[in-house]
Amino acid sequence: MIYALGKLLHPDIPALSFLRLVEYLSARSIAAALTATLLVLWVTPRVIWYLQRRQFVDQLRQTGIASALDKAGTPIMGGAVVIPAVLASCLIWCNLSSLYLLLMLAGMLWFAWIGFLDDRAKMRARSGDKGLSEAGKLFLQTAFAVLFVGILASPLSPLPLAERFRIYVPFVKTALVDSPWLFIPFVLLFVLLVSNSVNITDGMDGLAIVPSVFVLLVLGVFAYLLGNAIWARYLFYPFLSGAGELAVFCSAFAGAGIGFLWFNAYPAQIFMGDTGALAIGGSMAVGCVLLKQEALFLILGGLFVAEALSSQIQDKIGVKWLGRRIFHRAPLHHRMQHLGLAETKVVVRLWIISGLLALGALATLKLR
Amino acid sequence: MSLLDRILLTGGGTAGHVNPALAIGAALAKPGAAVLYVGVKGRAEEHVVVREGLPLKFVRASGFPGLRPSAALLKFVVDLGIGILQAAVILMRFRPTAIVGTGGFVAAPVVFAAEILKRLRLCRAPVFLQEQNAVPGKLNQVAGRLAERVFVTFPETLEYFPGNGLLSGYPLRERIGSIDRETARARLDFRIPEGRTVVFAFGGSQGARTLNRGLVDALRDLIPHRDRLFVVHGTGLSTAGRYDASADTQGRLQQLYTEEERELINSFYVARPYFHNIECLYALADLCVVRAGAGTLNELARAGLPALVIPKANLPGDHQVANARAMQRAEGAEVLYEETVVEDGHVIERIDGSLLAGRLVDLAFDGDRLSRMARAAARFHRPDALGVISRAIRGEGPEPVPHPVAEEPLEMTLPSNTALLSRLEAAVRKSGKHYKPHSVIPDAAELQYYRSRAASLLVSPGWEDRNLGVKLLGLLGATDKVPLIVALLSNRTPAPLLERLFGGDFAEVGFIRRNALTALGRLGVVDPAVEETLLTAFRDPYYEVRCEAARVVARFGPRLTRKAEFIAALSKGVEDRDIEAAGACAEALGQIGGEEDALPVLLAMREREYWKVRSAALKGIITLVERGKVTDLSRLETSLAAFPLISTDFVPQFELKANYKKLLESVARRQGDAR
Repeated sequence: MIYALGKLLHPDIPALSFLRLVEYLSARSIAAALTATLLVLWVTPRVIWYLQRRQFVDQLRQTGIASALDKAGTPIMGGAVVIPAVLASCLIWCNLSSLYLLLMLAGMLWFAWIGFLDDRAKMRARSGDKGLSEAGKLFLQTAFAVLFVGILASPLSPLPLAERFRIYVPFVKTALVDSPWLFIPFVLLFVLLVSNSVNITDGMDGLAIVPSVFVLLVLGVFAYLLGNAIWARYLFYPFLSGAGELAVFCSAFAGAGIGFLWFNAYPAQIFMGDTGALAIGGSMAVGCVLLKQEALFLILGGLFVAEALSSQIQDKIGVKWLGRRIFHRAPLHHRMQHLGLAETKVVVRLWIISGLLALGALATLKLR
Repeated sequence: MSLLDRILLTGGGTAGHVNPALAIGAALAKPGAAVLYVGVKGRAEEHVVVREGLPLKFVRASGFPGLRPSAALLKFVVDLGIGILQAAVILMRFRPTAIVGTGGFVAAPVVFAAEILKRLRLCRAPVFLQEQNAVPGKLNQVAGRLAERVFVTFPETLEYFPGNGLLSGYPLRERIGSIDRETARARLDFRIPEGRTVVFAFGGSQGARTLNRGLVDALRDLIPHRDRLFVVHGTGLSTAGRYDASADTQGRLQQLYTEEERELINSFYVARPYFHNIECLYALADLCVVRAGAGTLNELARAGLPALVIPKANLPGDHQVANARAMQRAEGAEVLYEETVVEDGHVIERIDGSLLAGRLVDLAFDGDRLSRMARAAARFHRPDALGVISRAIRGEGPEPVPHPVAEEPLEMTLPSNTALLSRLEAAVRKSGKHYKPHSVIPDAAELQYYRSRAASLLVSPGWEDRNLGVKLLGLLGATDKVPLIVALLSNRTPAPLLERLFGGDFAEVGFIRRNALTALGRLGVVDPAVEETLLTAFRDPYYEVRCEAARVVARFGPRLTRKAEFIAALSKGVEDRDIEAAGACAEALGQIGGEEDALPVLLAMREREYWKVRSAALKGIITLVERGKVTDLSRLETSLAAFPLISTDFVPQFELKANYKKLLESVARRQGDAR
């Protein structure tokens, strides 16, 4: 909105020449982040009380972990604050003609919607174990992944023709794979796995949001550089015209995340719920695919990968198949808690780890 | 062309599915009508249908193994696909005017093919299904949705087929119960001497291993009665898989009895795999020894025969046991349960031969009793099932046809093992240490049955079932089953290679071993075998087992006789890599150790990295002190002075929540006072 307005006005009206700032991605990114943060800080207290009144609160789950018991009764659906704030900030500060941005927003909203259905189902059943069925969730996620890949493979795709089916890996300059037969299933799987990983990580106060902010910030840097022809050429990356808008999106999301942390820090006054977790996961997945950094996620989102893998291995291979626990507890953060670390300590340690991983991912920009 | 000109019958796997199809077919077909049977090669239909003079065609099919990815699931999908194509070809060629399916996985391809052809407007034959079991299988549930009508044997089954279900009872072949003794005698290919009491024993068309083996074992005790008794044994058609019914029975005879004994046995014992003219045997028999399948029990009711019933436990809804008990309550039958025992280190199910023989002799020579039982059994007969079915198919008569009611209904279901487990676990949560199984299941006979049913889970091939069985045995207080649990724990058969590559170890998986120890702890039987098992458990590769072993030791405490060995095992256990196991060992040391052997070990744990281990050591020392085992308390005080208290965890306390809880409690108390 402001982008269009500023662009329209500043060449003609000298008094408004400061509006030329909207031409700069960096300026808009910062503005978007501040907008989202302030929005979240302003709205959340009201929402907490609203959710409390409607009894949209965390329901007990039979996890057998003592501290989880203290949390029943905390309002959930913080995602319902974060997502609109990101959306509003993007509508204000982004160039809405970028197809990259539109795909990203679509991904975020779709996954937020799935999460919302899940949260609502849990509320209605008054049980943390009776959300949307696993199959139902998977179906809706797959539906998005299929549509998304379909668009990427079609002439509508914002990606340059040569880059469309390429998969890059960190530390290697050239594409590893260039084939639709590998790319399409790979991306489908990637979207499904990554979008769920935040949900699994979201088990302690502040645990999911800070690493998500790290990931989004790094993705924002990548978007800024790859959307810029000079930087992209300098770093030997494919130039993705229009991808720069994703930097504004990412910083808006990171800003909203910081605002959310204000309330979500231990002991939390609000949880993000599946609405938030799936939306963040979906956005990270879509962002990585659009920026051709799928493989980088192994490093960048290493924490999420570890959380998701440990949980899946424990359940599918250990408990269901072998009839034993493979890890003492899963996912990772419960294992650490089981070892005798307080929740606050686990969270801070995992923040540190995810921060280091994010730095490592940034380093791959030049280390190729 | 009318509806019943060309009838296609399908269903099979066992004769329990084939016979109803044949019965319905015979009732429907007018003279001159064409009838075709579709079945699966190598199953009961191959033996039975051909004898009836009906043309038989084969399709591929296999049972539904569950949705979990497996080789069996792949085979199922491939078989079903091919089967549907084959069935479609048969349907196009035969052009039936009506299709009657009686379940079993065999019927599925035909029903699905008919549905597909119907959508393509290539086949208009309506599909009718008959469901013999109280709880229909998954495939039949799906097929039932596509069918015009589903005729069910039990009222409970109607809920699976809303809209198109119709209660009919079990369709029996017309000739059952309608033949006199003389004709029957003449039609047999062996001679039953006059004046003998005839016992007819069979475990369904496929045969039942425990029944067959039990009966062969029983023959020894029956030899003295050889002048008054004649035993006819249907061993079963099963040749597939691990059990060849006929060969196994003959082999056991050879193995157990000398040549002279066999000669005596042959004077009163005849075995055949299958009796196509079973009605003759029903006519001649005075007493039957049977499984409690719906088909068999309905036939017995029709024939008015007393029976000694050996139900198979743990089928869906436990329907065999429920049926058997219903007949027992009405005094139409006696029930003999299989027992689960340890033989050569293996857990097996069996029937004790002399027990069976004893029960047989008691019953067989009590003529009054037999005739009373026969009258009671006849009351279970639900007449005219065939009439209901054929009238409904022909569209005759007012609908719905009022279903024929038996004087005594068969009771259908017992609580499943999983339902039982959650009831027991809820009781444990509620009463904690004071938990007693009697408080959940007050009836002693009932409790004993659940115990033996849980024990029979231990022979199941799926580890989930065995795990369930072990948990139940502990919660049901099945102290007589301790040897079974010990045998399970000592079974060191390795897991399949693939599983070992992913971290599996033994066929009795980690959860089973852990829960077996928990069960031993609950049961509280301390004998040499249990102690030996416990000692071995400390060397188990799975940490939860080591941990549980320590907890059980703590629970048994002073009752253990090999105390020194346990203290040694625990002292080693505190060094366990796993903090849970190390902690459990430390706490157990406090329970059974003393100042000399336990205290130094526990004090030496002061510099362990994880506070949970240090905390467990403190707990152990507390128990020692409380038990009055520490005499030199001042020395203990000095050694504790510098105990490292670095902790990485704490328990948060939310004052608001605490006050809220206090308020609720106080309100509840006041309410209690007011009342």
